Amino acid sequence: MATTKIGIIIAREFNERVRKKSFILTTILMPVLMIGLMVAPTLIMRYSKGETRHIAVIDRSDIIAPKLESGEEVIFEETDLDLEEARRDRTDLFGILWIGEDVMTNPSNVKLYTNGSSSIIVEESISGQIADIIEKEKLRAYDIDNLAQILEEVDTKVYMQVFRNDQTSGEGDDKQANSSVVATAAGFVLAMILYMFLLIYGSMVMQSVIEEKNNRVLEVVVSSVSPFQLMLGKILGIASVAVVQVLIWGVLICGVGAFVMPQLIPADMMGSVEAMQAGTLDPAVAGGDIEMVQMLATATDFGFVLQLFVYLLLYVVGGYLLYSAMFAAVGSAVDSVQDAQQLQTPITIPIILSIFVMMAVMKDPNSPLVFWFSLIPFTSPVVMMARIPCGIPTWEIILSLVLLYITFVAMVWLAAKIYRVGIFMYGKKPTFKELYKWVRYKY
Amino acid sequence: MDKNMILEVEHVSKRFARHTALDDVSLSIPRGSVYGLLGPNGAGKTTLIRIINRITAPDQGRVLFDGREIRPEDVYRIGYLPEERGLYKKMKVGEQAVFFARLKGLSRRDAVAGLKKWFVKFGIESWWDRKVDELSKGMAQKVQFIVTVLHEPELLIFDEPFSGFDPINANLLKEEILGLRDKGATVIFSTHNMSSVEEICDHITLINRSRNVLTGRVDEIRRRHGNNIFQVAYRGDRDLLDRALAGECEIMEHPEPELGAAYASLKIHVQDDARVRSVIGRINETVELRSFTELIPSMNDIFIRAVGGQLEEAQPVGNESSNS
Repeated sequence: MATTKIGIIIAREFNERVRKKSFILTTILMPVLMIGLMVAPTLIMRYSKGETRHIAVIDRSDIIAPKLESGEEVIFEETDLDLEEARRDRTDLFGILWIGEDVMTNPSNVKLYTNGSSSIIVEESISGQIADIIEKEKLRAYDIDNLAQILEEVDTKVYMQVFRNDQTSGEGDDKQANSSVVATAAGFVLAMILYMFLLIYGSMVMQSVIEEKNNRVLEVVVSSVSPFQLMLGKILGIASVAVVQVLIWGVLICGVGAFVMPQLIPADMMGSVEAMQAGTLDPAVAGGDIEMVQMLATATDFGFVLQLFVYLLLYVVGGYLLYSAMFAAVGSAVDSVQDAQQLQTPITIPIILSIFVMMAVMKDPNSPLVFWFSLIPFTSPVVMMARIPCGIPTWEIILSLVLLYITFVAMVWLAAKIYRVGIFMYGKKPTFKELYKWVRYKY
Repeated sequence: MDKNMILEVEHVSKRFARHTALDDVSLSIPRGSVYGLLGPNGAGKTTLIRIINRITAPDQGRVLFDGREIRPEDVYRIGYLPEERGLYKKMKVGEQAVFFARLKGLSRRDAVAGLKKWFVKFGIESWWDRKVDELSKGMAQKVQFIVTVLHEPELLIFDEPFSGFDPINANLLKEEILGLRDKGATVIFSTHNMSSVEEICDHITLINRSRNVLTGRVDEIRRRHGNNIFQVAYRGDRDLLDRALAGECEIMEHPEPELGAAYASLKIHVQDDARVRSVIGRINETVELRSFTELIPSMNDIFIRAVGGQLEEAQPVGNESSNS
């Protein structure tokens, strides 16, 4: 009977929120926004071409100018004008490049006069070309045969493949480690999601309690259900909203990702990605950038993504339950959101603290500081979520989850004691001392 | 454990940090009665009602429902309309009513069927799909009342039910409450509106400063508080009557009859019941007696007399309680 009552409360809280326009909008728009943010830079890079810039070159050394190569963005035109005339007359051009006579010995004697704002990309491509030309000229002065060929042979790049020795599976297959770049980024994003959920959904519980109190609907409800059932039903009802939102986001992001990713990644690279996931990639034949391949392999590894997703749900729910119980207690004790500020502070401090600790995870996911904070229940959701993508021992995750859920149960018990007294208190804003007294009331 | 009593409160005490809300309060509520729970603001009425509704637990004492200790599932047999009442503003009226009905143990189908009937009865069926914050206060009160009685509880508890109602709706409400009583429900009725007490309550308990100071049937209480004061209407010689009654009883008021008035009137205090007959005889011999009525004090007088003496030193109400 008690459970059906909690069920009715949960259903009400859930329906009320899920039917709101704001919920539908944020649920659909958030992933679109996130994917947009990820995809936009690639698209912009691909489709945006800067305007062609014409640059007049005055080369006093006569070495550089003939070798400057015009490209899509910059077109070099040699000119016979001297600097004064060019600066005065050729204002129709993007700029005038002046190269000093002694540029071979004094490479800083290069000046660019522009008729407008310039950009780092343009400037770097000009200075880079000049540096290359000077370098080659200097090498040529040593008069070595087959120099170009020798240089090509000497040029070496190292691609290091990383394996997790502690996670080797039985059959002797080496487990390819996940890309650290992807792991760190994923950790950051997941921790931020956790942070958002704890604060937003936690204060949603608080506001809902305050609203019931102000509406005076509370006493009507608690004549049918116990205050504890009402509080628990409210917390669980809003939790189910959070879970639904996470699930919808997960499906949307995976779905859109699966559709968009192949469009953006060249086919031969995709082949390498699949080979790496299967563990059959021969680094020698891998096309081009093996780091990129590893990143993509990690990001599109279904097992990895699913695992993250399950942990995300566990921590969202656990962390939310813990914090919402505290928020509910605070909400019951005050009459308005303004009054809640002071009592709310000790709740928000650990959430904000965990964001700072998360920054430390970015540096080293296994430092003692990070380890302990990922076990302490108040900070563990955010900190642990940042660590998980880096691949940490499962026992640490399980221990932290167990601690989190035990603390949640204890916190609900404590919060309920404050709640059942607080909901009938109107007027005076209570102090912490009074809250403590309420906990000890016999009911 | 009287089987005629639907609810018995036995020696209930409830203390908050700095004040006592209830101090050894006992009362018995007969089945089928309309029971008034009276008392000034802060006396402990609301705390007592919350204890009956199992919202809070007493420090000492117990509550018996149907002759046995009250159980959690008994809330299905109780309907409670709190003084501080409200509805979820953003919810639709019908949906909300169904929600509350289901919390009282009705199935969704029974709830909808029952609610439709009540909505038609109160003429608010067109409000089913409107949001509560579009409703006027009176409308919301009607919805609230329906929600309280829908599950046909055996015990109904109304805390200041008429506050916020206009006279027409208050009358409608009173009729409904009496109608429910006629169908067999017991009604507890907390108020400090004394005229409504005389009209509809048959039993009362007066709580003042956390204690039960007066309890019993309304008519008995009024008679008990009557002080043998009588109103007499007559036609005849005023001075003659004064002389005839001298020594028999104390004349409290004997105004000159107004010009053209059909009767003169007189207010007397008779020392003891045994002399009432001889007083009547004297009056009858002297003048033409038209009426002889005992003046029974109103509940309002009794309330003020019972509470008044103690009010001067009434203790302040701490912030621990929102009693009213």
